[in-house]
Amino acid sequence: MTVAADSAVPAIDRSMSPGRVALRRALRHGSFWVGGSILLAITIVAVLAPVLTHYDPAAQNLTQRFLPPIWAEKGSWDHILGTDNLGRDYLARLLYGARISLVIGLFTVLISGLIGTTLGVAAGYWGGWVDLVINFVVTIRLTLPVVLVALVVVALVGSSLSLMIIVIGLLLWDRFAIVVRSATQQVAQREYIISARAIGSSTARILIKEVLPNITGPLIVVASIEFAHAILLEAALSFLGLGVQPPEVSWGLMVAEAKAQLLFRPWMVAIPGAALVALIFAINLVGDAIRDVTTPEGRA
Amino acid sequence: MTDDVLIMQGVTREYAVGGPFAKKKILKALRGIDLTVSRGQTLGLVGESGCGKSTLAKILLGVEEPTAGSVLVDGRPISSYDRLERAKLIQPVFQDPYSSLNPRMTVEAIIASPLEVRGEGTRASRRKRVEELAAEVGLPRHLVDAYPSQLSGGQRQRVAIARALIGEPKILICDEPTSALDVSVQSQILNLLHRLKQELNLTMILISHNLAVVHHLADEVAVMYLGQIVERGPSEDIFERPHHPYTDALLRAVLTPRPGSRLPDLGLQAEFPSPLNPPPGCVFHPRCPYALADCSRLEPSSTGGQRVHRCHHPLNMVDISMSTAATR
Amino acid sequence: MSGEPILEVKGLQVEIPVDGAVLRPVRGVDLHVFRGETVAVVGESGCGKSLTALAIMGLLPRAARYTCDRITLNGESLANVSARRWRQLRGDRIAMIFQDPMTALDPCYRIGDQMREILQQHRRISKQDARERSLELLRKVGIPSPEERLSQFPHQLSGGLRQRVMIAMALLCEPELIIADEPTTALDVTIQSQILRLLQDIQRDTGIGLILITHDLGVVAGMADRIVVMYGGEVVEVGACDDVLSRPLHPYTEGLMRSIPVPGQTKRGELLGFIPGIVPRQTGERTRCGFIDRCPYAAEVCAAGPVPLSAGENGHEVRCAVPAQRRDPQAWNRLTEAS
Repeated sequence: MTVAADSAVPAIDRSMSPGRVALRRALRHGSFWVGGSILLAITIVAVLAPVLTHYDPAAQNLTQRFLPPIWAEKGSWDHILGTDNLGRDYLARLLYGARISLVIGLFTVLISGLIGTTLGVAAGYWGGWVDLVINFVVTIRLTLPVVLVALVVVALVGSSLSLMIIVIGLLLWDRFAIVVRSATQQVAQREYIISARAIGSSTARILIKEVLPNITGPLIVVASIEFAHAILLEAALSFLGLGVQPPEVSWGLMVAEAKAQLLFRPWMVAIPGAALVALIFAINLVGDAIRDVTTPEGRA
Repeated sequence: MTDDVLIMQGVTREYAVGGPFAKKKILKALRGIDLTVSRGQTLGLVGESGCGKSTLAKILLGVEEPTAGSVLVDGRPISSYDRLERAKLIQPVFQDPYSSLNPRMTVEAIIASPLEVRGEGTRASRRKRVEELAAEVGLPRHLVDAYPSQLSGGQRQRVAIARALIGEPKILICDEPTSALDVSVQSQILNLLHRLKQELNLTMILISHNLAVVHHLADEVAVMYLGQIVERGPSEDIFERPHHPYTDALLRAVLTPRPGSRLPDLGLQAEFPSPLNPPPGCVFHPRCPYALADCSRLEPSSTGGQRVHRCHHPLNMVDISMSTAATR
Repeated sequence: MSGEPILEVKGLQVEIPVDGAVLRPVRGVDLHVFRGETVAVVGESGCGKSLTALAIMGLLPRAARYTCDRITLNGESLANVSARRWRQLRGDRIAMIFQDPMTALDPCYRIGDQMREILQQHRRISKQDARERSLELLRKVGIPSPEERLSQFPHQLSGGLRQRVMIAMALLCEPELIIADEPTTALDVTIQSQILRLLQDIQRDTGIGLILITHDLGVVAGMADRIVVMYGGEVVEVGACDDVLSRPLHPYTEGLMRSIPVPGQTKRGELLGFIPGIVPRQTGERTRCGFIDRCPYAAEVCAAGPVPLSAGENGHEVRCAVPAQRRDPQAWNRLTEAS
C-alpha cells in the first residue's frame, strides 16, 4: 500500500459537497437511524391511514363502547386497540391523530422558521440599531408565557386547525431568531462575505447565496427542536379543550378524553401518550444527529 | 509620464468607541494618509497590528467610508462609483484562504461570481472564462468542479486570485496574501503574483508585515505606524537607507536563515500604544531608540515628494546641509 | 550542552484512525535534547511537529495513539505514565508554551491567580510566597509594572505581554525542558525578536533545554543549536544549525531555503525558488521515499523502498537515497523555469 499523493488525483469527487458530506456522516450516526426510522414510520402510517384502517375515526357507535384492545380478554381483531367512550375505533383515531401532529409540527415550523430566520439574519448581518430593535422584540416575546397566550387567543377567537397553526407559529419563532442571529454574526465576519461585497454583490444576493446556505446546520437543529415543541404545545392545548375540536382527532385530545378512565382502562391514556413520546423522542434523536454532523468542518 | 490610478489625500478614518451609555472615545485608525499609485506599479504597505493597513484596504474596497479626505480612482472620487462599477475597478485577495471562499460554492461558481453578479455572459461563456483564469493562475483544471474543502491552502489562494482577476480590475489589493500559507507554498504564490503583475500590467497594492516579501515584489513601499505613513519611497532606497527609526527596526527584525545569524537587538522600548490613546508629539517616540526631547512635544510633519518621512531626526540623511541629520 | 540528554525520544509513532483509514502523522521520530541546548524542529503544516510535541507532553487528542521505543525525561520513562504522575510532571519538570497567546490563557481568571495555581499545584507554598515568586518571574520576562499585571485579566494585556506571561508561567517551577510551539508566529515582527531574545537569555541563565517548533527558518538561524527538519511525519534531516543551513543535504531543506526571499540576497523581481506540489496525506506504510513526488533529484532508487536516515559527519544525518555527487546541480533551476 503506497502512500497516496493526493496532489495527482485527476478525477474530482463531486460527492464532496458539504451537504453530501454531512448526509454521509449522518447515515453513519446511530441516533439518525433510530430516530429517522421511527419518524419515517410515523409519517408513513399517517399518510397511509385510510389504507391501514377502514374505520372513520369520528364514527360513533354507541353500542360498541369501551371494547377492550387485542391483548385483553374479550379483545378482538375487529378493533385492535379497542374503542373509546363513544365507540370510535381507537387505532383509527391513533393513526389519524398522527396526521394532526405532523401537520401542526410542519406548518408551525415553517411559519416560525420564516419569521425567526428573517429577524435573526437581519439582526446578525446589520447589527447596530436593527440588532437593538430586534433584540427588544425578542425579549418581549420571551416574557410572554406561550401556553397562556395561546389559550387566551384560542378562547377569544375560537379554535380551528389553521388558527392554531398560525397562533403557535407566531409564538415559537424566538429560538430561531436567537440562534440564526448568532450564526449569521459568525458568517458575516468571514472574508468571503467581504469578497462578495467587493465584487459588487447586492445585499439580497449576499444574504441568499452566501449567508443562508452557511447557516443551515444550526437552522435545521432549531427546526427539529421547535417541531417537537409545536407538537407538544398542540397536545397540551387539545388536552385543555382549547386545541383541536371534535370531530377532528389529535393525540392530546385522546388523552383528555381518556383521562377519566385513567384508573380503569389505563391503556386509553397510555397509547396516545406513548405515541407522543415516541414522536418527540425520534425528533430529538434526529436533531441530535444533525447537530453532531454539522459541526464545522476542520481545516483541510 | 505616470498615469495615476489611485490618489489618496488626507484620508482619515475615526471610530467612536463605546456603547450607547458610555462616554465616547475616538479611535483614529487612519490619520492624514497621502498616497498615489501609478498604473502598473506595485505599492507595498508595511506595518504591524494597529497601524491601519486593514482599514485602508477596507476603504479602498468600499466596505468603509473615510471620515475625511479624498480617494480618487481614475480621476473620479471613489464614492461616485456605484457598487458594480467599483467592483470593476478594485478587487481584493485576502489573507486567510480558509475563510475567503464560500464553502458551499464550487470553485467554478466562486471564480465566476464577479461576472455572474454583473449578469455578464452566459453560463457557458463564464465557464470558459473560469477555465482560462484557472490555467492562468496554475490551478489544475479538474479542481474547477471541486469544493474549497478539497483544496489546499495554496490552491485556495489561487482561486481567490482568479476570482479577483476575472473581472479585469484596475487595482488588485492583496492583504497579506501569503501569511497564512506554508513557506514552500508562499513562494509559489509570490511567483504567481509577480508573473501576473508583468503579464497583465497590474496595479497592485500589497499589504504585508513581511518586509522580505514586500521588498521582493513592490516598486514603492509605504511604512505605516499607528494610522500614519511614517516613511515612503522606492523599494530599494527604503531598504538600503531607511530614514525612519521604525523602518530601520522593521528591517533589522527580518530574520534570515543565514548560518551564524544572531537575533537582532532592536532597542525598542515599551509595547505598542493603543490607537485610542496615541502618544503626544511623534507617535513613535515612546519606543524610539533615538528619541530626543522635542519628539514628545511636536508632531513631525511629513516631507513631500518622492521620498517621504515623518521624523524630527531621520536616519541616513546623506544631505549634510540638513542640520537635523543623524547618521547610523 | 553535555552529558546525558534531558529528553530522549526514539521511534515515536502517532496514529489516528479517521473515517475508516489510519493516519500516521508521525512515523519513527528520534529526538534528543541536552541541557542548555536549543533544538529547533522545523517543518510545515502536516509534517507532524506539533503532534510530536503533544506526544512528548502526553497531550495527544483522545483519538490518537502513540508508540515508541523509548521516551525518557531525565532517565524517567514517559511511556506509560499515570495521569497523576503527568499532573506532577507537567508544569514542574516539563513545560509547554503555545502558539496563540490569545487562547492559551484562561480568560476568566486573573494572571496572578493562574500563576499561583501552577505554583500551588507543584509546591507547598504560601499565598504570599507564590505572589513573590510570580512577581519575580514577571520582572524576569520584562513585564513592566508587574504588580498591576497580577490582578489583570488576560484580555487586558497585549499579545506580546501575554506571551511573556506564558513564558513566565512556564518557568515558575524551574522545569528542565520547555517545548515552545510556534511561540512567535502570532506576534508582530518587532515583538517577535524581543520574545525570542528573552527565551535565549533565559536559557543561557538557567541552562534549560528548549525545543523550538517553528516553520520559520529565520527564527531557527538565530536561536537553534541543532535543527531537526521534519516532512511527512519523518525526520528528513538533522544536524548542527550552521551545518544544516550552510549545507542543506535534504532536497526539502534545500527547497525551503531557496523559497525564502532575503532582501539583499534574492534579486528583486526574480522568481523565487519553490517546491512544486502539495503535502500528501499520510496513510499506510512507507514503500518509498516520502518526498519523491516533489523532489527534483528523484531517481529510481528512491522508489525502491523506504529510505533510512543515514549518519554523516558531525552528527549531520539525512534521509535521502541520492547522495550529493549524483545530484544534478541544475535540477532546481530547471524546475523553476518549467513553471
